[in-house]
Amino acid sequence: MFPNAFSTPTPEIDISGKSVLIIEDYHAMRSIFRDIMRGCGADVRKITMVASGSEAIASLNKSQYDIVLCDYYLGSGRNGQQVLAEARIRGLITLDCIWIMVSADKTADTVMGAAEHQPDAYLLKPIAEASLSLRLAKIIKKKQVVKDVFQAMEQLDYPKAISLCDERMAADKTHVTDLLRTKCDLLLKSGELERAKELLEKILLERDFPWAKVCLAKILFKNKAFEAAKTLLEKTIAVSPSFLEAHDLLAEMLQAMGDLEGANSVLEQAVKLSPNSVNRQKILGEVSIKMGRLEEAERAFQKCVSLGENSILKSEGVYLSLAKVYSAKENPDEALKVLGKLNKSFDMDAIRLKVKAVEGMIYHESGNNKKAKLIAEELGECLGKDDVDHDSERSLEMARLFMVTGNTKSAITLLRCEVKNNPESKVLLDEVNEIFVAAGMGEEGAKLVEVSRQEAMEMMNRGVLLVSKKQYKEAIDAMRSAHKAMPTNVRVLLNLAYVLIAYLQKNTSEPELVKEARDSLLAANTRSPGESRFVRLMGALNKLSPPV
Amino acid sequence: MGMNDLQSKTNPLFESIMNNKNVTAKPSSLSVGSFLASSVHDMKNSVSMLIDGLDKTLAAADSENLAVYSELVQMNHEIKRINSNLMQLLTLYKLGEEIYPFDPQSVCVEDFLHSLAAQNSELLKSHGIALEIRADPALCWYFDEDLINGVIGNALNNAMRYTRDCIRLIANKNKDMLEIRVEDNGTGYPAMMLQESVDNKRGIDFQGGGTGLGLYFSAMVARMHGNHGKLGEVMLENGGSLAGGCFVLQLP
Repeated sequence: MFPNAFSTPTPEIDISGKSVLIIEDYHAMRSIFRDIMRGCGADVRKITMVASGSEAIASLNKSQYDIVLCDYYLGSGRNGQQVLAEARIRGLITLDCIWIMVSADKTADTVMGAAEHQPDAYLLKPIAEASLSLRLAKIIKKKQVVKDVFQAMEQLDYPKAISLCDERMAADKTHVTDLLRTKCDLLLKSGELERAKELLEKILLERDFPWAKVCLAKILFKNKAFEAAKTLLEKTIAVSPSFLEAHDLLAEMLQAMGDLEGANSVLEQAVKLSPNSVNRQKILGEVSIKMGRLEEAERAFQKCVSLGENSILKSEGVYLSLAKVYSAKENPDEALKVLGKLNKSFDMDAIRLKVKAVEGMIYHESGNNKKAKLIAEELGECLGKDDVDHDSERSLEMARLFMVTGNTKSAITLLRCEVKNNPESKVLLDEVNEIFVAAGMGEEGAKLVEVSRQEAMEMMNRGVLLVSKKQYKEAIDAMRSAHKAMPTNVRVLLNLAYVLIAYLQKNTSEPELVKEARDSLLAANTRSPGESRFVRLMGALNKLSPPV
Repeated sequence: MGMNDLQSKTNPLFESIMNNKNVTAKPSSLSVGSFLASSVHDMKNSVSMLIDGLDKTLAAADSENLAVYSELVQMNHEIKRINSNLMQLLTLYKLGEEIYPFDPQSVCVEDFLHSLAAQNSELLKSHGIALEIRADPALCWYFDEDLINGVIGNALNNAMRYTRDCIRLIANKNKDMLEIRVEDNGTGYPAMMLQESVDNKRGIDFQGGGTGLGLYFSAMVARMHGNHGKLGEVMLENGGSLAGGCFVLQLP
């Protein structure tokens, strides 16, 4: 009556037409993986095998693969997670590609890496053919269920993605948990906090999902209910100590509450669990600097640099931070050496001015004012040439150097511009104030910051005011000039899109204006994801002119 | 390249040992613990290769050459036992250090049991043991699949030693708990073990080898699974649908 285990129903999948990439550094293991894939029904002629991360990237660059079987540890060079991240970021794999990560041993690093670059499954060695076959069948089915949802998400059409989630949930009971989680995520992304909260509370009645508790804590955090969020996160960590997202959010919140000591100890615990996240190490380094713990900061940033070596996600920022730590430790030679390393692995044209500014500061701090001044003058000549993209970090670094080398005027120009671009960012305003305080201009600086902030607010709202008086053309002009003055101000970008859409709703569609509105919205969303206004305006724009 | 070079280079625990600045002349319990753990990790890699190799050989084996075949099957069984012991030790070590990445997911229970059966199908066949799976295909539950695979795999291995010729894997929902039963038609557990299973704490002669690791591991894993204050549990019973020994796991 009951099926015997020997006649385990082979899942109804046919992967004979699928192309397979096997990434494994050890030769004997590669052929074992190939035999297993063949046993699962793959066509041997469609199996490609490579031995390293760089070979894998080359193969992925050349052709599209349907299934990737990838060992996490690949000897020297990139690890499996870094290969996956690079493939996703560079668009080398599609949403349909099945990525299976394999490792001999389960660690937080292998299974709990960055959420956005999770593979479809993690399998522990030894992998049995039957288990892999079942797993492939499951993933293929799940991909079919969530495909439209993710497509809508990629197009940033969150309302559509949410309604697709509801539709799928009603029809498919096996994937309810995944779909609920995606829906909560979407509601947060759309800024619909109340709806998200309601749904999460309902989910939590059924089961204590740690992700749901962290989601709820995020909402409490956004609503500035710090104490409640903190309690919830601490409880979550006590029950699920390996759930890293809870540690990260708690550390972020403790920082916002000014409890650096608390943030530090939470991060230390998270780093012990998963030492190989660049982002977490970077935050730990930043907190350590704020606390004056230079040894810890040095260790954290060094780890970032070495982790980043093989990663597409490497950034120059951690090199600069490490150099600054050495400079603060009165070791300018080491600091300059770190800057020298940037040459090897970065496009120097894009970051030259920023690196120069840090270099100037290192000379200044080591007492070589002559050299610092020389560099400052060189940088001063580059000011005003707006042939480079706006970069807040660069402006702040340059302002710091100008301040200490006596070019107060250029420093103030740069800082005012930063305030106008980010009038609502507390972190940035604090940093600007700090630069003024360090230069002994605390009071004057605070005034300048406040004046610039108000100027920006006034310009930000001018367009909206004109729209309310139905002066559409004038509104667009006002927001365009505001955008020119404050190119990365998110509110300006959203307001520019708003006045364009208001105009388009009254007039016949003009493709250039639609494009201008869409570009503004996308730029705003890149700088500050999850604004509810972005979702609403994008919805209105899509109604006027559907995306191509 | 020799296997050892390869393994030490790719061993994540190796790095943490090399970075440990507290290396002194006398080994501390911490460094011994780390060495044990990194050696276990290393051995697991080798054992995985052996298992894969043996599985491959077995699948291609000439069934006419029966003597060799059954010896290979027995080797395969022993090496799988080593693998599961190593996995349990490594997990317990990581739990002690609070670095185990506990990772519960929604799992279709029937698929899970079929996958477990498939991992053991060669051995069952060679011993002439029939395995039945009774589970509602729509039953999904939330647990750490690797850990529970270790627990039920261990119980299944145990049942294979003591059963006469039949084992049942039964899953159902029992008062808000998932209950997975491994039942056999052997002579059942001795009275002493049943009593100690109630006491539940001490190491007992569960593996036949006498380490008690399997049951200790199972009880620990069960208790890691909690929901609204309720915790998972492991029990041993006699009787059940095959009137033999029963291993019972309950998860909230």
